[in-house]
Amino acid sequence: MNDFIKVSPLKLLEMSSSKGLGKGKLGALMARAGVGKTACLIHMAFDKLFRKEKLVHVSLEDSPEKVASYYNVIFSDLVKALEIKNETETRMFLDRNRMILAYKNKSFKTERLKDNLNNLINQIEFKADSLIVDGLDFENTDRFVLEEFRNIALEFDVEIWFSALSHRHISDVNEQGIPYPCGRVADLLSVIIQLNPTQSGIFLKLLKDHDNPVKSDTSIRLDPNTFLATV
Amino acid sequence: MKEDIKKIRNIGISAHIDSGKTTLTERVLYYTKRIFAVHEVRGKDGVGAKMDSMELEKERGITISSAATYCEWNNHRINIIDTPGHVDFTIEVERSLRVLDSSVLVLCAVGGVQSQTITVDRQMNRYNVPRLAFINKCDRSGANPYRVLEQMRERLNHNAVLMQIPIGLEGDLKGIVDLVSMQAVYFEGAFGEDLRIDNIPESLVEEAKARREELLDAASMFSDELMESILEEKPTEKQIHEAVRKGVLQRELIPVFLGSAYKNIGVQNLLDGVTNYLPSPTEVENIALDLENEENEVKMSSNPDDILVALAFKLEVTSYGQLTYLRIYQGSIKKGDDLVNTRDRKKIKVGRLARMHADEMEDITEARAGDIVALFGVDCFSGDTFTDGSKRYSMTSIFVPEPVISLSIFPKDNKSRINMSKSIHRFTKEDPTFRTHVDPESGETIISGMGELHLDIYVERMKREFKAEVETGMPQVAYREAISNKVEFDYIHKKQTGGAGQYGRVAGFMEPSDDESYEFVNEIKGGVIPTEYIPAIDKGFQSCLKKGRLIGFPVVGMKITINDGNFHSVDSSEMAFTQAAIGAFNSAYSHAKPIILEPIMKVSVECPSEYQGNVMSSINQRRGMIISSTEDGVFTTVDSEVPLAEMFGYATTLRSLSQGKAEFTMEFSRYSRLPESLAEELKKKLAEKSKGGK
Repeated sequence: MNDFIKVSPLKLLEMSSSKGLGKGKLGALMARAGVGKTACLIHMAFDKLFRKEKLVHVSLEDSPEKVASYYNVIFSDLVKALEIKNETETRMFLDRNRMILAYKNKSFKTERLKDNLNNLINQIEFKADSLIVDGLDFENTDRFVLEEFRNIALEFDVEIWFSALSHRHISDVNEQGIPYPCGRVADLLSVIIQLNPTQSGIFLKLLKDHDNPVKSDTSIRLDPNTFLATV
Repeated sequence: MKEDIKKIRNIGISAHIDSGKTTLTERVLYYTKRIFAVHEVRGKDGVGAKMDSMELEKERGITISSAATYCEWNNHRINIIDTPGHVDFTIEVERSLRVLDSSVLVLCAVGGVQSQTITVDRQMNRYNVPRLAFINKCDRSGANPYRVLEQMRERLNHNAVLMQIPIGLEGDLKGIVDLVSMQAVYFEGAFGEDLRIDNIPESLVEEAKARREELLDAASMFSDELMESILEEKPTEKQIHEAVRKGVLQRELIPVFLGSAYKNIGVQNLLDGVTNYLPSPTEVENIALDLENEENEVKMSSNPDDILVALAFKLEVTSYGQLTYLRIYQGSIKKGDDLVNTRDRKKIKVGRLARMHADEMEDITEARAGDIVALFGVDCFSGDTFTDGSKRYSMTSIFVPEPVISLSIFPKDNKSRINMSKSIHRFTKEDPTFRTHVDPESGETIISGMGELHLDIYVERMKREFKAEVETGMPQVAYREAISNKVEFDYIHKKQTGGAGQYGRVAGFMEPSDDESYEFVNEIKGGVIPTEYIPAIDKGFQSCLKKGRLIGFPVVGMKITINDGNFHSVDSSEMAFTQAAIGAFNSAYSHAKPIILEPIMKVSVECPSEYQGNVMSSINQRRGMIISSTEDGVFTTVDSEVPLAEMFGYATTLRSLSQGKAEFTMEFSRYSRLPESLAEELKKKLAEKSKGGK
């Protein structure tokens, strides 16, 4: 499991001031459509799981079957890339520590998420350390909803990572240089990272590091096939 | 020809068990002049409603087995399949939905949308069945069709719109107001057969106008023409009908009719709705698989002149003999034709062809695309496809879940034994989810099915229909054994008891395999065991897998490699090497640390979201692992994996923890190691049982 942590995309945060996001905080992974946002987010989820943390994957678009199949495909790739020996046991361990909460047909409400998290804690003793939220429409989501998420992060003592869709044709940035749509709500997000495909490879770049200044070259290069950090 | 098909409606009538669908069907048959008197389901007159042809159904007042029937209305032919509502009989519902083009969802005006309604509705969604709804029992105390309409919108997520409003409710129900024609309809005569059209009662005019507005708003979304006419304030009835029909065919609108079948109110208007809004066979896409062409999909044409493709969707034994219900997707069938079963390529001759009317029938000479008919004396299974033999088309197979529970069954006497055997033969052909086998060890007959009630009903049918007096054992879980270590073996089988001796030496190793399969690897070199004895060794090992030495259940997931041995030119034989393999297996098995595997089921529970916590807790208490929870509107689906052994009685638990509003489905997922403490307990229990047996 340690082999993965060495090449995890979240290795980027080792370059950050507090070496991570931290409980009670919100973070966002930004990328354009088709770059591999969900895949990268799931790699970040594996980072948490391999650290023996409990994780809740909140999907606002995809069915749980599809989410689970993403995890399975990526896990199979990791087994090959990292030559994981005890595949069945590792898979069982990961499955036990991961919960998928899906919300179909615009059923998502932060109140329901709170109820769901409470049920997980009270009924089956599943206390999450991190939440991965995939599919939140950052462009059309009220600031209020993100504030609610921040309250959830504090109340349940979890860190929450979002995926956020950016657009090539919208070049707006806020005063700190954070691109649209995260720029509008950057004050609510403690860490913002961007997945950036370039001619020389895919880079994961740190855009916001809590309240600390970020050096412009704080980035790591990812293998375009496995999304693992190239050492 | 095409014109005829356009006037066919193949409909199902689906609903919760007590919503009165059988009474509704009975009235439909009466008004369409297929029967000439009406009876109640729990008939005080001892005759019973027409669709409940089985004695058991009559007694329980429920419909277990679907019976097909047809009738005519407004110059249209309507084939009706009456479907059961209980969860243990969903295969019947699924089959019906597979062959039907549309459905009528019956709801109770008092009970409204219940958990079973949701199941049936979701099944209809799965098969993309366009539908309309009928809110029945508006004469009952507590009836509130408006509340049911809201429930349809909120709980079923339907774009449901009233086509009528009631004139009076509960005991005062007198008729309905048709919101398309804006007229009152009263049902007079002994059985409501005479319709009297009148003006809308003064007290209902405002309500009717408001509800008509809602109808026009909803319908106009499907027709620009209607929308323009509404703006000009002159929409015609034809425009409204066409727009509603379009919405129904797109499965985006559910027109809601209402009344009381029991009080003979509203049924004729529902029939108008069936012919006006529901699709003909030509408006529904059906796909067959071409088995000669890599199972490529072939769209059925609905053309009676094309080659025949028909699906046997239901087998029944009636007083006329064995009946096979067929849905013809294209082509036609004439009496005397030869048909070919795609599955086994057997040819059958169409001796007698009939349209069924519950348990009565009408002989016909020809049936065409779109029709549902019955054949006599055809040997086939449910789900078989018939063609004229020129193509090997198979209709997409009907989803058949794996059975999850087994019971041993014992006949009380010899006559019962014969009758039980007959009944089992019949049931397995009728219902693919009902399976049977004989336990080679105990000689007991084991029946398997979809749930405890499913098997209970078959046991009762054995008693009633086949006069087979039987007793049943406790429900049984299908455990497996597997080894967890690699172990070497080297065994000599040697016997010299006068006459020809026996000699064989087998050496090698056994190890766990990656999946649940058995693998035999021959690495014998230099002819130390002659090739002709190798299959006998394989056979010997395989014979040991049938019954493990730990708890007597089959052994799975084992790879055996042989790499050494010896033979004797005189005393070695196939039998000697088979025995050597058995000896080698027995000597090595216990050293290979055998473990017990238990079946793990994928369990999916659907419930109103407020019960999510209770459901999660109930799964957790059953050693289950929750995989995900999905919210959709006000409903939540909790998916999990639970050992089958923990699932007995879960239906009862779930009912009580959710006030009957949650339901679950389960199917086999995989085998997993039984925890050590439970394995010890199980070993003790089985040992005691075995002692008791002796």
